[in-house]
Amino acid sequence: MSMLVFLEHHGDELLKGSLGVLSKAVALGSADVAGVVMGFGVRPLAEQAAKCGAVKVYVADDARLEAPLPQPRVDVLARLIREKGIETVLFGNSVLAADVAAGLAARLEAGLNWDLADLVRQDDRFVGKRPALQDSVHVDVGWKSEPRIALFRSGSFDPVETGGSADTEDVTVALEDFSTSARMVDQAHEEGEGPSIEDAAVIVAGGRGLGGPENFTLVEELAKALGGAVGATRAVVDAGWYPYSTQVGQTGKTVSPKLYIACGISGAIQHKVGMQSSGVIVAINKDPNAPIFEFSDLGVVGDVHEVVPKLTELVKARKGS
Amino acid sequence: MTKPADFPPPFRAADYVAAPSDPPDERIEVGILIVGAGPAGLACAIRLGQLLEDAPEIRDRLGEVPVAVLEKGKQAGSHLLSGAVVNPRALRRLFKGRKRIDEMPFYGPVENESVYFLTKQNALRIPAPPTMKNDGNYVASLSRLGRWLAEQAEEAGAMLLPETAAEKLLVSDGRARGVRTGDKGRGRDGEPLANFEPGSDLVAKVTVLAEGTQGHLTGVALDRFGLAGESPQVWALGVKEVWKIKRPLDRVIHTMGWPLRPGAKYREFGGSFIYPLGEDMLTLGMVVGLDYRDVELSVHDLLQELKTHPLVRGLLDGGERVEWGAKTIPEGGFLALPKQLHAPGLLICGDGAGLVNVPALKGIHYAIESGSLAAEAAFAALQRGQTPATPGALSVYDEALKRSFVWKDLYEVRNMRPAFGRGFWLGGALAGAMTATKGRFPRRDLELERDVDVELIRTDRAMDFPAPDGKLTFDKLSSVFASGNKTRDDQPNHIVIRRDVPQDIAQLWERLCPAQVYEATEKGVDVTPSNCVQCGAITAKGGRLTPPEGGSGPEYTLT
Repeated sequence: MSMLVFLEHHGDELLKGSLGVLSKAVALGSADVAGVVMGFGVRPLAEQAAKCGAVKVYVADDARLEAPLPQPRVDVLARLIREKGIETVLFGNSVLAADVAAGLAARLEAGLNWDLADLVRQDDRFVGKRPALQDSVHVDVGWKSEPRIALFRSGSFDPVETGGSADTEDVTVALEDFSTSARMVDQAHEEGEGPSIEDAAVIVAGGRGLGGPENFTLVEELAKALGGAVGATRAVVDAGWYPYSTQVGQTGKTVSPKLYIACGISGAIQHKVGMQSSGVIVAINKDPNAPIFEFSDLGVVGDVHEVVPKLTELVKARKGS
Repeated sequence: MTKPADFPPPFRAADYVAAPSDPPDERIEVGILIVGAGPAGLACAIRLGQLLEDAPEIRDRLGEVPVAVLEKGKQAGSHLLSGAVVNPRALRRLFKGRKRIDEMPFYGPVENESVYFLTKQNALRIPAPPTMKNDGNYVASLSRLGRWLAEQAEEAGAMLLPETAAEKLLVSDGRARGVRTGDKGRGRDGEPLANFEPGSDLVAKVTVLAEGTQGHLTGVALDRFGLAGESPQVWALGVKEVWKIKRPLDRVIHTMGWPLRPGAKYREFGGSFIYPLGEDMLTLGMVVGLDYRDVELSVHDLLQELKTHPLVRGLLDGGERVEWGAKTIPEGGFLALPKQLHAPGLLICGDGAGLVNVPALKGIHYAIESGSLAAEAAFAALQRGQTPATPGALSVYDEALKRSFVWKDLYEVRNMRPAFGRGFWLGGALAGAMTATKGRFPRRDLELERDVDVELIRTDRAMDFPAPDGKLTFDKLSSVFASGNKTRDDQPNHIVIRRDVPQDIAQLWERLCPAQVYEATEKGVDVTPSNCVQCGAITAKGGRLTPPEGGSGPEYTLT
């Protein structure tokens, strides 16, 4: 059963999300899991995929693939899938991946199951798990035909480095006329200190319990001491205390760091769904009845203005020693 | 104490009327434009499809898109919410010879029904008032029925345009020309974002407003064309939940009394409904007239309190809430109808027109019937070779509606709702006399008072509302989540209200809103528009809801 994983990169690194999906594919026990990297000057990236267990990496290295546009990638993938008779194609969600997956499904008239949280093999079939009814249940979804295309929710799987090497194979890049009519005008990166909120291993997030925008420095300092990123709740973003790009929750970002420290956050469900898959959740809140304590691993009932600075000091002291 | 009317919203209907402004070659031209994919709008689209099927020459005259239906929700049904027990009369007529009732997505006929008068601990079974008998009616989820009707409409050749809000009414030379759709991709201060997409002029030979309760352009059109009736419209707010349950419910239940207070000074008119949705689900809701007075009243919390009653708790035992939603209901009935439901190039149907029978708890079949009649009127005008925008060309719609069962039903019960402004007991007695005389009593019609004109009082009612436990009782935010609402947070605010209001008004709004949009602060009121489920309660009680970006708001599936 041949599987292909779409590997997306930023700069010199494959995305953690893509590698996580690759690790998942390997864990499903397929003998020949392949990855595909597309872009310009991307050949060296194949090695990173090999580390996560790909036995083969297809490389489409072409100047026309430099911009992160979906249509040229659909052209390359469609041809590759037809030529190699690939049966299953997996994507980790991103703006680009969602576009490519949808375009590919249309091009190949293939079935696409999106927003999957997991994929399992039952007998000889693949069954996708899709959260539904506000994530309260998982719906089993399948495919009626091949190739099967799956788009996973971001942060569903962590990459697992197994070591190893992979064959690389260059892929012909032949583009359709209609695929070259869009061009990228500009690409902008938001400048921020420290790791971005999606990739951070540690997130320190602040809520309304901080009392005011000036108290976000408490959160920032703790995040800095831990080498983590700063997150915020909708209430404080709404109030203009902190930028929207840091908002965690239903209408913000979904994150799954190893450690999530919630400072002065009550834990409304809209926030919970954005961070509930974090490794360890620590909550600091002075209200012992706050819902956040129901799903945190460690709860501190206390005033964030006192607890957080002390915690920062302790972390600094520990790191300094 | 004060009243909401003292703090009117800075809203001018005239700001939402415009002449077509896109260059002629950029306008989107359709034949008949229907605003709102609810039972009225979709019935209109289906009926038009049927009529045009046999009249290809008229269909050709209507252009490439003979019939289009605009819907502000994510899809048809996303913003539909009702009890609902449906009288199938209008559906039978609409689908005569095409679809049988058993092909429609109902959860079965009403086989048993009980009406209870509740006190805090007890439930007294009382005979069903004659207006409330449901023999021959069917239980439905209106959201689901709406999705099915949308499929039928598409099969009948209509084009559905979901995620598209109708923001302005296009008028030139005193005639309705269509609508302008809302912009998409604007930021909080109205600035265009990267994905900005301006609205467009959708021009049509006939514009059918089927927007449902608190219709935005319906309100604008009543003002622009001077169609408002003598009596003001009044509303109720309904909040409901859908539960997965362990043991099937074998009947429909209505309750009166607790948790509402019977005293005339409170003016708390309403009740609850509990309907089975198949074997493994039920839906329950609380409906309260928005002429209530107490600043501390919250319909959402009354529903939570209702669930703690032994009768209700027993039905939900071991179950799980799967959906939540809220919507207003126009309750003024016959007395509050606009004096005319057409204007040059324009027709108004369904809940937007106020075609609701409060004592019978019914309106869906009137919506469907009025939508069908609107289709027939538009078609008749086209058949006569008339330009439907000619003044009077659509007057057959009003005439047909007056000859229909809709009018007769509404006339008979016209005085019941205002009677209940006098408290539950006196209101009930008066309603009984009205039923017995088929509406000949009282000789002189009662008067309706605008919901915003009711003087407020304050009790400590909120102290009794149960604390949410996340299993049986829920707070407002987790309820908004259960409505499927995931509206983008950085949209412009679509709710027009005064911010610098006194505490009484701010707290009224905070309690009133089932979706936690308003928060009383020291300076007045703060607004979180992305929580909004577009129920319309704020319009009844001193603000003005306008449509947010298309695709926003709840995504109901079972309500």
